[in-house]
This record gives sequence, C-alpha cells and structure tokens, in this order.
Amino acid sequence: MPSDLSSLVHWILFLPLGAAALSALFLRRAGGLAAWLSTATAFIIAGLSLKLLTAGTADVTWHVELAKFGGISLGFGYLIDANARLMLFVVSFVAAWIHLFSVGYMKEDAARGRFFAGLSIFMFSILGIVVADNLLMTFIFWELVGFSSYMLIAHYFDKDYAAAASKKAFIVNRVGDLGFILGIAMCLSLYGTLDFTALKDHAAGAKAIPVAVGALLMCGFLGKSAQFPLHVWLTDAMAGPTPVSALIHAATMVAAGVYFMARVSFLLAPEVLHFIAISGASMAALAGLCALAQTDIKKSLAYSTLAHLGIMGCAIGLGHPELALMHMAMHAFFKATLFLGAGSVIHGCHHEQDMLKMGGLLKKMPLTAATFIAATLSNCAVPFLAGWYSKDAIIEAAFHGGHLAIFAFLSLAALATCLYSGRMIRLVFLGEANSEEAAHAHESPWTMTLPLVVLGLVYSVAGGFLAHAIIPAGSLQPIGKALGEIAFHLDAPSTIVGLISLAVGFFGALKFYGTVRGADALQVISPRVYHVLEHRWMDGLYRWYVDAVQRRLAEFIAFLDLLLINGVAVRWIGAGVPAVLGYLTGRSFHRGQTRAYALWIVLGSLFLAWFLIAR
Amino acid sequence: MDTFPATLLALAITAPIIVGLILLAGRDLPRSFASGFAFGGFAIPAVLGPWLLILWSNPSTTGQQFQSEGFWGFGFALNGLSAPLLAMTSLVGLAAGIKALTQEVEGRNTYLGLILFMLGGTLGVFGTNHLVGFYFFHEFALIPTFILTLFWGGEGRRPAAMQMAIYLTAGAMASLAGILIAIDVSGVDIGGATFVKVADGLQNAQQLPAATGALVLFGLGTLASLFPFHSWAAPGYSAAPTPVSMLHAGALKKFGLYGIILLGLSSLDITGGSLGTWFLWFAVANVLLIGLICLAQRDLKQLLSWSSVAHMGPIFLGIWVCGVSGKADGLDAAAFLMVAHGLSCAALFLLANAVRARAGTYRLDELGGLATRTPVLAALFIAATMASIGLPGFGNFWGEVGIFLALRAQPLWLQALVASTVVISAAYALRAVASTFFGPASEALEKRFASAPFGDLGWAERFAAFILLGASLTIGFVPSLITKSVNPVAAGVTTYSQHNAKAPAKAAPAAPAKR
Repeated sequence: MPSDLSSLVHWILFLPLGAAALSALFLRRAGGLAAWLSTATAFIIAGLSLKLLTAGTADVTWHVELAKFGGISLGFGYLIDANARLMLFVVSFVAAWIHLFSVGYMKEDAARGRFFAGLSIFMFSILGIVVADNLLMTFIFWELVGFSSYMLIAHYFDKDYAAAASKKAFIVNRVGDLGFILGIAMCLSLYGTLDFTALKDHAAGAKAIPVAVGALLMCGFLGKSAQFPLHVWLTDAMAGPTPVSALIHAATMVAAGVYFMARVSFLLAPEVLHFIAISGASMAALAGLCALAQTDIKKSLAYSTLAHLGIMGCAIGLGHPELALMHMAMHAFFKATLFLGAGSVIHGCHHEQDMLKMGGLLKKMPLTAATFIAATLSNCAVPFLAGWYSKDAIIEAAFHGGHLAIFAFLSLAALATCLYSGRMIRLVFLGEANSEEAAHAHESPWTMTLPLVVLGLVYSVAGGFLAHAIIPAGSLQPIGKALGEIAFHLDAPSTIVGLISLAVGFFGALKFYGTVRGADALQVISPRVYHVLEHRWMDGLYRWYVDAVQRRLAEFIAFLDLLLINGVAVRWIGAGVPAVLGYLTGRSFHRGQTRAYALWIVLGSLFLAWFLIAR
Repeated sequence: MDTFPATLLALAITAPIIVGLILLAGRDLPRSFASGFAFGGFAIPAVLGPWLLILWSNPSTTGQQFQSEGFWGFGFALNGLSAPLLAMTSLVGLAAGIKALTQEVEGRNTYLGLILFMLGGTLGVFGTNHLVGFYFFHEFALIPTFILTLFWGGEGRRPAAMQMAIYLTAGAMASLAGILIAIDVSGVDIGGATFVKVADGLQNAQQLPAATGALVLFGLGTLASLFPFHSWAAPGYSAAPTPVSMLHAGALKKFGLYGIILLGLSSLDITGGSLGTWFLWFAVANVLLIGLICLAQRDLKQLLSWSSVAHMGPIFLGIWVCGVSGKADGLDAAAFLMVAHGLSCAALFLLANAVRARAGTYRLDELGGLATRTPVLAALFIAATMASIGLPGFGNFWGEVGIFLALRAQPLWLQALVASTVVISAAYALRAVASTFFGPASEALEKRFASAPFGDLGWAERFAAFILLGASLTIGFVPSLITKSVNPVAAGVTTYSQHNAKAPAKAAPAAPAKR
C-alpha cells in the first residue's frame, strides 16, 4: 500500500549515507560542523521512525531489482512489519541521543569529522538490516555494519590495541559471515528465492526445514551478536571511543543478530533452536560471572552485554523471538545509559577507566550517578523497571517450557548480574576516591548529561512502567504479546529467583566490595577464582591457532610453492628448455631477455605459417 | 548498424598507439609537450570506453547476443562481455597513465610511449572479435610489458622479467596451438575466424582433438595465473614499474579469462570430463593455497601481487560452475568480478607505490603508523582494500557473492572451501592495513620523516585513485551497468556450452563433474 510510507523509509535509510558522504569528503577539517550535521540527521531519523511507528500497522513493502545474474535476482527492497517498526524506532531513538552525547564527549578530538562520518555510515548500515526484505540485502548491510564497526573501533588507530581490536572484530565477524553466505546460498538452492515473504510461504508449505539452513544462517548471528564461540571480539572492541561502545556494542549492532534471528525464525529447525537456547543460557551465566573479574569499567559492561545477548539468544532458542526482541529493546535503553554513564565517568575522571581507582563519585557527579544507578537497577531486573519485564519473562518462559537446565543457567545469570552491578556501584560511586583523578572529578556538560537523563530516567525506569501505554498497542504486537504472557506474581519462579538474587547479589556485593579498598575483594580472597573469571583463555586459544597453526601452515605452503612449483617446474623445466634452445642456437638466454623473447615470437610465427600452409 | 560507435571504438584503440608511436619516435620532444600528448593518449580511451559501454547497454544499439559482427570492416568489434572490460581497461589505463606522468624516470618519452602501447594493445584485445586479432593484440601488449619490466622495473627485475617471458610465451604458444586447432576443426577460414563463427562451426564439427580444450584452458590459464601455472605472476607484478603492474594485473591479465570464456567454455567443453575435474581443483587451489601463501607474505607489494593471483580463483570457479550447471549466473558473476578486480587491484598497486614513495620500503615490519602523517592516503588505501575483499558498495562484492550463490548446487564442503576466501582475504588484507597505517609510527619511518619529510597523497594520484574507486563504487551501486551488457552474452555462451557438452559425436563424452 502506501507509497508515501516507503518514501519515508527512503529518507530514513539514505539520509545518514548522505551525511556520511558529506562529512567524509568535505568536512574532514570542520569537525564541529560534521558533528552537528550527523547529530541533526540522527534526530530527524528518530522523528521519522516515530512517525512510521505511529502511522499504522500494515506492512510497508517496496522492491526493486538492481540486476540479474543468470536467474538470480539481486533485489533491494523494504519489508517493514511490526518488528521492523519497533527496531527502527529503538535504534534511531537510542542512536540520536548517543550522537548528542558524542558531541560533548568528542569535543577535544582532532578527528571528529571522521568519527561522525563513521557514526552516520553505521546508522545507514544498521537501518539497512532492519528494513531489508531479502537475505542478500541483509547480508549487504550486515557486511557494512562490520565495516563501520571496524572503522569506529580503529578510531584511535595510532594505538596498537585499537589496531588489533578493529582487525579482530572484522575478521571474527567474517568467520560468522562465511556461514551466513553459505546459508543464503542454501536457501536459494532449496527455495529458489531470497525474499523473506516468499521464504516464509515456502517454509510454511514444507514438511520440515533442513537443520543445515538454520545452522548456517545462525553463524551470522553468532558473529554479529557475539555468541559463543565468536564472542571474543566484543570485549576488545571497547578500544573504540565510549559512545561507540554504547551505540554499537550495547544497543544496536549486537542486537542486529537477535533481530535477524527473529526475522528468519521460521527457517530454524528445532535442533538449531535447542542449540541456541543452551549456548545462550550458558554464555549468559559465564559472561555474567566474568564481568566480576574486570577492572576496566567498559570491559565489565561489555561482559554484561554478552550475558544479556546470551539471554536474548536463549529466548529465540526457546521459541519466543518476540520476547528476545522485547529484551533487545529494553536492554538497548538501559545498556546505552550504562555505557554513556561510564563515558561520562571516564570523561569526568580525566580518562581513567580502572574502577579500582574510582570511588565516591556519587557526590561529584550526581546526575551521572543517579542515571547510572537507575539503569543498573533496571539491569538487575528490579520489579516494574524496564529490564524486569523482559528478562523475567524469558526466565519464566524457560521454566514453563520445562527446560530446567536452562532455567538454572538463567537464574545463575540473574544472580551474576546483581553481583557485578552491585560491585560496579560500590567501586565507582560509593566510598572514597581512590586516585587523584577521581578526587578531582567533575560533572559532564549538558550535551552529555541530557542524553543520560532522557535515556536513563525516562526509558529505563518510566519506560518500564509505561511500556504498554506510551507506544500505540497496535504497532507493538511483539511487546504486547510478550507482556500478556507474564504478570507479577510473588510465587512465580522467576520473581522468586529475581528477588533472591537482588537481595543476596546486589546488596551482598555492595557490602562485600566495601571490605577492601583500592583492590578487588574477590582477588584478595581468592586469586585463583578471579584469574579464571578474567577469561583470557579463549583469546589464548585463538592466538595459539593463528600463531602456531595458521601462520605455520601458510609459511609451509609458501615454501612448498617455492620449492616444488617455482623451483622444480621453473628452474628445471622452464629453464631447461631455453637452455637447450640456447645451446642449440649458440646464444645464452641470460644475456638479453628481449632477444630471447623475440626468438620465441619468430618460432611462433614459423609455427603459425607452417600451420596455415599445411592445412 | 550505425557506424558512429565503430568509429569511437577504433579511435579508442588507435589513439594510444599513435601517441605511443609519436613519443617513441620523438625521444627528444620537450617535456611539457610530451606530457600533454601522453595525457591525451591516456584520456581519450578513458572517455570513450565508458561511453561505448553505455551505448552498448542501450537496448537500441544491441539486440545481438553472442555475435558482434562488423562494427567496422577492420575487425574491431565489441560484444556484451568485452564492452565492460574495455571500459575498465580504459579507466585503469588513465590511472596508470597519470601515475606514469608523475614519475621521474630515465628515457621518459620512451617509457610513456611503451605504456601507451601496452594500453592500446590491451584495448585491442577486447576491441576485436577476430581470434587472430585477439591473439595479436595480446602479444602487442605483452612485448612492451617485458621491456618496461626489464628496464624500468624494481628489485629483482631481471629474473622476474625472464621468468614472466618464458611462462607467458609458453602459455601463449599452447593457447595458440589450441586456438588454431579449434579454427581448423570449425572449418572457418582463418581470415574470417571470429569468436561467433568459430563457435558456430564447432557446434556442428564432427570431432575435436581431445587436447584442444586443455591447450586453451591451461595456455590461457597461464596468462591469467591459474594454479599451478602462476609462479610468474607475483614476482612479475612486484618487479614491474607501478603503471605496468596496474595495467597488467588489472586489465591485460583478463585476456586469458576472456578467451577461456568465449572459446573454451562456449565450445571446447573445458568443464567436462577429467579436464573439468582438474580445472575445478586448480581453481580451488587458487583460492585456498594462494590465499594461504598471501598470509605468509612480509612485503606489501608481494602481498598485493599474490592476492591478485588468489582473486582469480573465484573467477575461474564462476566459469567452471557455469559449464557444469548449465546456468549463466556463474558466468555473469565471474565477468562482474573481472571488471571489479581490475579496478580495485590497480588502485591498490597505485596506492602501495605511494606508500613506498614515502616510507622508502614495502616491508611490512618496517612500516607502521603512516595514517597519522598521511590520512588521505590511508583512507583511500583502506577503501581500495575493502573493495578488494568484497565490501558491499564496491563492485567486487557482487562478483564474489554472485559466484558463491552460483555454486549453491555444489556440495557444501566445496562451497565452504571457496567461500573461505572471505575470511582469508580479510585476514591478510587487514593485517597489511594495520601494519602499514595503524599503530604508532615505526622507528624507521620516524627517521625517514626526519631526514626527508613527506606529505600526504598528491593531487594527481588522488585523482587517479578517485577514478578507480569511483568506478568501482558506481558499478557497486548500479550493478546493472555491467549486467545489462553481460547477461545476453553469458546466456549465449551457456547455451553453446551445453549444446557442446551434450553433443554425442564429441571425442570426450561429457559427464559434467557432479561432485
């Protein structure tokens, strides 16, 4: 139907591309202008997305064929269903405020033009994934998201760790994409189309979906959403500026995988779902515990993100993609707030990121502290806050589905969440300042605190209360349905688990981490446990593979090539023949290559002449 | 047919050759005069090439599928496959020419003249429909390539030029034998041996010597660096002066692929029987083994040279799968990648040379942190790298992904081996970017900057890089620019190849390698 709505989508999608191109080509030295251009674009997109969200519930579709390879149509088009509307709004709204935050955060940065061009190109990429109506277009923007993330992580490219982290993120994501593209090829082979709507019809008509289809498509999700075993890039990605961590590695990019899985959930066989559920739940528990052994505030938050992604993955695996999407939306708000809050703290403490050197910031940065704590409580799933609705719904779903192992893992994850949240609050905001930087901390400017207040207070807290009221019910079918399935009962298992975790975990952590000053209490008591939770072994494993296996294999093959093909073939046969000819003609080929070549041409011409005459 | 496009085509091919002759004859021409002339020789085809492509894609000008008879009595002609290749060559030629004009070399006029010859010959390869003309123009372009590498090349140029000469001559001889046998069997008079006539003749031919397909495939494959006939390529490109590397690796090399498609795939059943099996494994080796060799490189230009060999793998596989599956999609994608690879590969050679001009070395362990001093160079290099590893937005993406999709009916392990290129190429390309541009500036670089301060990329080189990357972005955003022209030819070639594969009277009965 409405063509006017599809033109709205054109604007939403291509505005940021235009802004990025302008900034990259002309505003490299006019950083301030680029910053405001990019931010204004982001707010316009948020407005347009809100308009789309409220403009009705019918699917918006639009399609054009870019080209054809044989019988394969390379299509480009939009499919805006209820999920897409919600995702568009969440992404663009959160992103707009993060843009505003960045204006303040990056004020001193010389490469602001590049940074904001990167943010805009990222917006273009992620919005493309959201609106795409076919697998190939999803893949295109999927790759572009990988690229924008690469550029933004590499923002401080003159630092070795940023160079390494950006490379790692891109390559690990590409490992996932390898499976993804094979899955796309398999869909095309089985169903003859890449279009979501057509695929859905085929899937509904088919008896069973082959496991391989879902398993391969899932690879893309494992990479982009940082699921085990491709999760290793996410924590290193904190090398980028903090707003990037907030935007990409908390709110949107990692959510793209969840969104995509929900979009193709009809292609996932039960075996695939089961795997996602188990791996998601166990990763949620493990990552939550690992967050306890990080001293860098951003790394700790990154592990927290991993844990929540595990929970979302688990929801998809349990057959509740709508719950996963809802948690994605809620998580986007409070995790963005947490990261921006961390950014504000880092900015206030003169770029100190070590939590052990902070402390007592509640008084020095009250606004930051208030929003951070509010978002933390939402993260801990305090009843009636945003995180509670979505997370407890998933835990409840696990229990009611009879998946007790998953329920146990998720409960452990809930406890871990409360533990690391309490630890973070205790170390950063309470107690005394543990360094010069923290002692002289200052509150951040309005461009940074306003987004915190809007995202944090309005959405993590009030948004939770008003989740059904503020957004028109019709366009929010996924959330409405999810909310219908859960109600607050004191005797519901998820509520019991949640309240116990909160009491034991959160308050326990507050007390426990107050016992030692300037050091981590767990590390003091049990260095061995702390070391295990630091979670370096997986990186070690990959490093071993790259250094010991891959590089040696590459060098060995290069050596073989040199020895066998180049050495034997060229020096023996290749040089042997000319040497014989050279001997016969009485001339050394090594004296003048051009002459040698001319000889060959003459021989060739003779051959040609002979051929023509003989025939 | 309208003679106007034919005139344009003839002008595009002859202009660089005539200017080249003038420069060779007038070795003492004043510098500014020679520069202006040479620029004209590079620029005229660059205007005409894309123009011809647009004319060709226009439905009112085309309408003939595989055939492209008589744009001009002289034998110049375009077809849907060669039109995009000619346009690509002309743009690579302009960029290479701009690079050459900024270089300070001994015997500058001769140097420029020879590069113009090379360009004219390469344009001629794609601008003729006659098999002998096709072969002739290739040799015409190769001779200056050897001379340029030998006299103006870099480190290790003598053995590299020697090796290249032997390989390419051997390959050319083998393919010539195959071509001549094919013409003979087809019963077409050699004076009128166009691709179409020979293919038509071979459709009805009674028997074809079994080795013909192998001679053409491996002969032309050598020129396109098919494994294991690739050893000349990496040292050859590395040792050649930059404009020559750009033209050779980007454009001239596509000669082999073009011939394999129009002669081998269409008429010689190269994907059937045991020959097809060998073809498959060699192409996979191009992707995998050469990809791994790329990972072991320690030198930026060597890496680019090797990766340009590795990127031929998917193209070969696209051609292979077209013959095996009887569907045109693989060929469409392969043709797309041929064009896109020419652009990205030339851009990388151009920019890598700019790195060397500043840092004084291609060695990755001595480079580092260049992005701080030369942000524009870094940005363009990263863009070219991203193009070459198939980032969407650049043309290479469509080619690579199209080939993966075309392989969809093949066994999964084979698809996985081929698609692993997305990981391998990202690994070596990003490693090169990181060790050249990222991290703190290396000691060697700091010392060099202190003794001989250098600036960011100059305007001429920026312009050259913009042409190449701009073209790649254009076909990345509007892929129909290429596919509209290629689709009919790909469909035609596929029909011919299927007819041949199924013909009962063939010497090698065709059981397409369904593995």
